[in-house]
Amino acid sequence: MTSKRSQIEMVGLVVIVLLITVGMLFLATFALKSDPHKKIFTRKGLSYSTLSALMKATVETNADCVPQYQGLESPQIGKDIIDDCARYHDTDGYSQYRCRGPVSGERLHSCDFLHEMMSYLLNQTLGSWNKNYEFHSQLIVFQETTPQDLIEPVIAGGGCPKYKERDASGLFPINTDAGLVENVLYLCD
Amino acid sequence: MKRSTLPYGLRRNRKAQIQMSETIAVLFIFFVLIFFGIIFYYKYQQVSFQEKQEELLGTRAIETTLKTLFLPELICSKGEAESEDNCVDMLKLRSLNETIKQYLDDYYFEIFSYARIYVQEVYPGNSTFILYDKQKPDATREEPTFFVVTLRDEIAGKGQELHKFGYLAVVVYS
Repeated sequence: MTSKRSQIEMVGLVVIVLLITVGMLFLATFALKSDPHKKIFTRKGLSYSTLSALMKATVETNADCVPQYQGLESPQIGKDIIDDCARYHDTDGYSQYRCRGPVSGERLHSCDFLHEMMSYLLNQTLGSWNKNYEFHSQLIVFQETTPQDLIEPVIAGGGCPKYKERDASGLFPINTDAGLVENVLYLCD
Repeated sequence: MKRSTLPYGLRRNRKAQIQMSETIAVLFIFFVLIFFGIIFYYKYQQVSFQEKQEELLGTRAIETTLKTLFLPELICSKGEAESEDNCVDMLKLRSLNETIKQYLDDYYFEIFSYARIYVQEVYPGNSTFILYDKQKPDATREEPTFFVVTLRDEIAGKGQELHKFGYLAVVVYS
């Protein structure tokens, strides 16, 4: 009699254990759910396409980049402006291109213009879609190992530190007279 | 020890009654648990169904965006050279709206289904080019996807090819 009763109690215990296991499985399904495919794809593609478009973009003619004809009337950001900035990085005040900033409206040194332009364009796109981002442009001078910031990093919404889930555009290296300039854009939610 | 004054038959009956109510209580609790389980499972199914729908809509948004980005009617090309990615040709862009309108139902609807596609210029101007607009009458959800592109303009610059900055927006409906 006692043995039968304990057997029934064992069955009850097994049922409870089973119920708890099923509950745990449900919880695990919820917890281990990965980011949707779209989110990852969009972030990766968006970071690449944004930097690619930024590098290709040309400065408008009204920005008066050159007072007398010395270079292109509409210099390309990823080629002419970055090259000019790298070349005259340490020359305080002087640069071949002095374009009007899209926000300040003043004619700026190519490095200052680059920073203002990047901040403006990124804010108008990624910023308006509530994305956090970080743009770095670093100069690696020939025969030197440590890269130095060409411009101050453009950071919005707290940036994308390493511990955050982030995607990078990949390096966009540009060969200039002053050395190699590496550009990278990090994007996170 | 005090012995029960009730007759033996009545005592057995009472014990059986107690056991019966115990069984009923256990069964009640069991069915309550089953009921909660069914409710939980129903809610879970409802949520996963919605998630699946969202996932499908997201996939469609990606597909539509990719189709638009690589649309020969829009992408930057130069003769037989390989076309430039993330680039929209302004010359094509200016006339595409009319072409799409003309062949919307018999060609473009099959490609884009219910969607709204437009190109927004950010720098230097702020023009909007609506390429495709077919709204779903009973749409309950919409999914926007943005891609930054460069807008190549060969006629704006004085002999120089200009690359404007903008983005492509694709909104899909379900």
